[in-house]
Amino acid sequence: MIQFLNLLINGVIEGLVVALPALAMTLVMGVNRFPNAATGDLMTTGAYTAVILQALGVSSLLGATVLAALGTAIISVISYELIFKKLARQPMIASLLAAIGLGFLLRSVISFFAGHDQRNFKLPLVRAWNFDGVRILPSDLNIAAAALVCLLLVFFLLYKTSFGRQLRAVSDNPDLARASGIRARSLMIGLWLLVGMISAIGGVLLGMKAVVMPELGWDHLIPAFAAMVLGGIGSPVGAVLGALIMCVAQELSVPLLGPSYKLVLSFGVLALVLLIRPSGLMGRTELVR
Amino acid sequence: MIAYFVAIGIVSLIYALLALGLNLQFGLTRLVNFGIVAFFAIGAYTSALLALAGVPLLISFICATLLAGFAALPIGLLSLRLREDYLAIATLGFSEAVRITIQQEEWLTKGVQGLPGIPKVFASLGTSQADNALFVLLLALTALVAWGTVRLTRSPLGRLLRAIGDDEPALMALGKNPTKFKVQIFMLGAGLAGLAGAFYAHFITFISPEQFLPLVTFYVWMGLIMGGSGTVRGALGGAVLLMIFLEGSRFIKDWIPGVSEVQMASVRLAAVGLALILVTLYRPNGLFSGNSKT
Amino acid sequence: MKNPTSTCASEHLLAVEKVSCVYGGFKAVDSVSFELQPRELLGIAGTNGAGKSTLFAAIAGQQRASAGKIIFDGTDLTALEPYQRARLGLVRTFQIPREFKSLTVHENLLAGAPNKEGEQLFAALVNTQARQQRERELSEKADSVLEFLNLAKVRNVPALNLSGGQKKLVELGRVLMLEPRCILLDEPFAGVNPVLIDQLSEHIVTLNQQGIAFILIEHHLQALKRLAKRLIVMDRGSILAQGDPQSVLDNAQVQVAYMGGVA
Repeated sequence: MIQFLNLLINGVIEGLVVALPALAMTLVMGVNRFPNAATGDLMTTGAYTAVILQALGVSSLLGATVLAALGTAIISVISYELIFKKLARQPMIASLLAAIGLGFLLRSVISFFAGHDQRNFKLPLVRAWNFDGVRILPSDLNIAAAALVCLLLVFFLLYKTSFGRQLRAVSDNPDLARASGIRARSLMIGLWLLVGMISAIGGVLLGMKAVVMPELGWDHLIPAFAAMVLGGIGSPVGAVLGALIMCVAQELSVPLLGPSYKLVLSFGVLALVLLIRPSGLMGRTELVR
Repeated sequence: MIAYFVAIGIVSLIYALLALGLNLQFGLTRLVNFGIVAFFAIGAYTSALLALAGVPLLISFICATLLAGFAALPIGLLSLRLREDYLAIATLGFSEAVRITIQQEEWLTKGVQGLPGIPKVFASLGTSQADNALFVLLLALTALVAWGTVRLTRSPLGRLLRAIGDDEPALMALGKNPTKFKVQIFMLGAGLAGLAGAFYAHFITFISPEQFLPLVTFYVWMGLIMGGSGTVRGALGGAVLLMIFLEGSRFIKDWIPGVSEVQMASVRLAAVGLALILVTLYRPNGLFSGNSKT
Repeated sequence: MKNPTSTCASEHLLAVEKVSCVYGGFKAVDSVSFELQPRELLGIAGTNGAGKSTLFAAIAGQQRASAGKIIFDGTDLTALEPYQRARLGLVRTFQIPREFKSLTVHENLLAGAPNKEGEQLFAALVNTQARQQRERELSEKADSVLEFLNLAKVRNVPALNLSGGQKKLVELGRVLMLEPRCILLDEPFAGVNPVLIDQLSEHIVTLNQQGIAFILIEHHLQALKRLAKRLIVMDRGSILAQGDPQSVLDNAQVQVAYMGGVA
């Protein structure tokens, strides 16, 4: 029972963090209609920017994260303007391949200059709280809280601002949205800035939880995609739910399969969802078949 | 010197087999397979493990091809209901799952330590002659596969596969069920990749999981797009271009001072990434050639 | 190809019973019922968004009806996939032509035709007798269909290079290869030049006289009036009026729905 609780807690914490790239992917999927396979490497970019800034002397972790988020957001927008906007009229596989290529490019630049060694954020050493065997690291709680705050801000943006309303309208029905005169250009730029920011923050949080290495984001690409599919494409709530369910499932599988099989499990979840209920928990079938 | 070119030739032909397999899946039938390396790995490990256990190479190669082909069955079934980008990510996930499994099941695969001492094909002829003989064998085999692909493309089945690739729902509205055919082609392409993997394992004589990263899948994609997908000429030409790229990058390292081997890997990764971006932007015909008979 | 057990003993070729298509609260098709007799030529008209194409999609199987039954020649179609419905003799064309872009016109007709002998892996590599014979049969049939449709000139042209009107003819040719009992034509005249419209109308009449039932979706009311023996007008998902073309078009509600009169 205690082990179950420990795994559950860890799963929820990780789920909140993975919810960020899953959300980023579902937003792009809903609006631009392709899976942004560069999401993982945008996370890595954010993580490395923050960890290097910290190493260079930026004392505030929050400050480093903000700068990393901004930097990654700019890269994200540039990628839209130079690449994905131009590929919008072509079949989706073109955008997908270009996204893979972008991911490779980002990762290669990072590994060329920063090497392949693992890096760590400078965090104060903490001791785990222990409640009769149920262990919680305060730093993990901070990470979870940060992820939650970030998610709440994004949801506020999506559901309480006109920007978010327009975004969801375009996602639900692009033709209708076009007809009603929603300003596409600024909407897209806003979207891709947002996507870059939340990916970067997700990357920083993952880096804080474990280590920062070039494969950080890529290793979470399939889980984020699986979370998105599980939750239902185009559904922000679904992305968060999907991430939580999936990460909890991943953690619970550890006693059976060991920690290294987490990614295999996420693939298994993906395959299962696609076979049984492709629309996911909250999505619409038309987008899958 | 000749030995060097023979080696290049052998690797080119291995990539050519991979490209021909992908060409059947994507060039002809528009099945987006981002998991080629999985079948490559299954073929490599199957043949290597069997051969190391004393099984004759002919048998081990056949087993490698068959096993890789059958491993494609569940993925093929998945492909039936999926839109291309979902299939792409699902196959990508599959290839990573295969790689991790190979890495973890050390009792079988020796994990990250890898499998050394894989017997070479034609080992009895001595090292240099063995490579020459292998090159000739591969050349003949690749020519055979290329010929078979062309015949397939021009046959009624090929016509059907092209129709599936063009507009599957329209074909279904005409009373045809593409299921069987898509699965068959998926398995055929996977089997070819497995065969290529077996040749690869027995050529370099040492395999480990890090040789089977998704990067290999995208090498093949890059080559196919540059050469022009949908035609056998394109697939073969792409394999040649790919080899020039891979070998060329090796030489560049010798010319640029201060670049380590590790950094060279990053440069190569960057080049592949850039190539994928540029090709999708500026050579859409590489992905979507219209009429294709050869 | 016919199913001997009838769920509903009737002479109707096609019976659509209270079919609805609901998507996320929006009723694209609202409890539509009608029947089609064998060899009948039925027209369906209506403004954009009236639900006509969705209705076709529900009948042919591209979309699932949320409610109601569709019975073709005695067989309940509800559980059947599009390819199964096509094999029963119920085929359709599409509003925007979906020609096979990488094939020639001739190949387009061959690709959809039943060809067990040729469409096998073994037969792909070895040119068997069975394959050759079937190819000959199909090729002759395709050529006669192309002749009938005045497409013989463009037999070997890549289908993607044809005009919009010609592509629609190719789609018609493809379904004719299947010797169907009933063809659903989705806006066959849209974007087609007037000369071709007349030719196409004549083809439809000839085929109808030969025994094929048609359901035609069209905006082009003049053409529809000439061709259809019976007309259904839809508006916002349900049937507004049904009957012989003149009286339907004279119907006041119909005139209002089309906003100020009929073409």
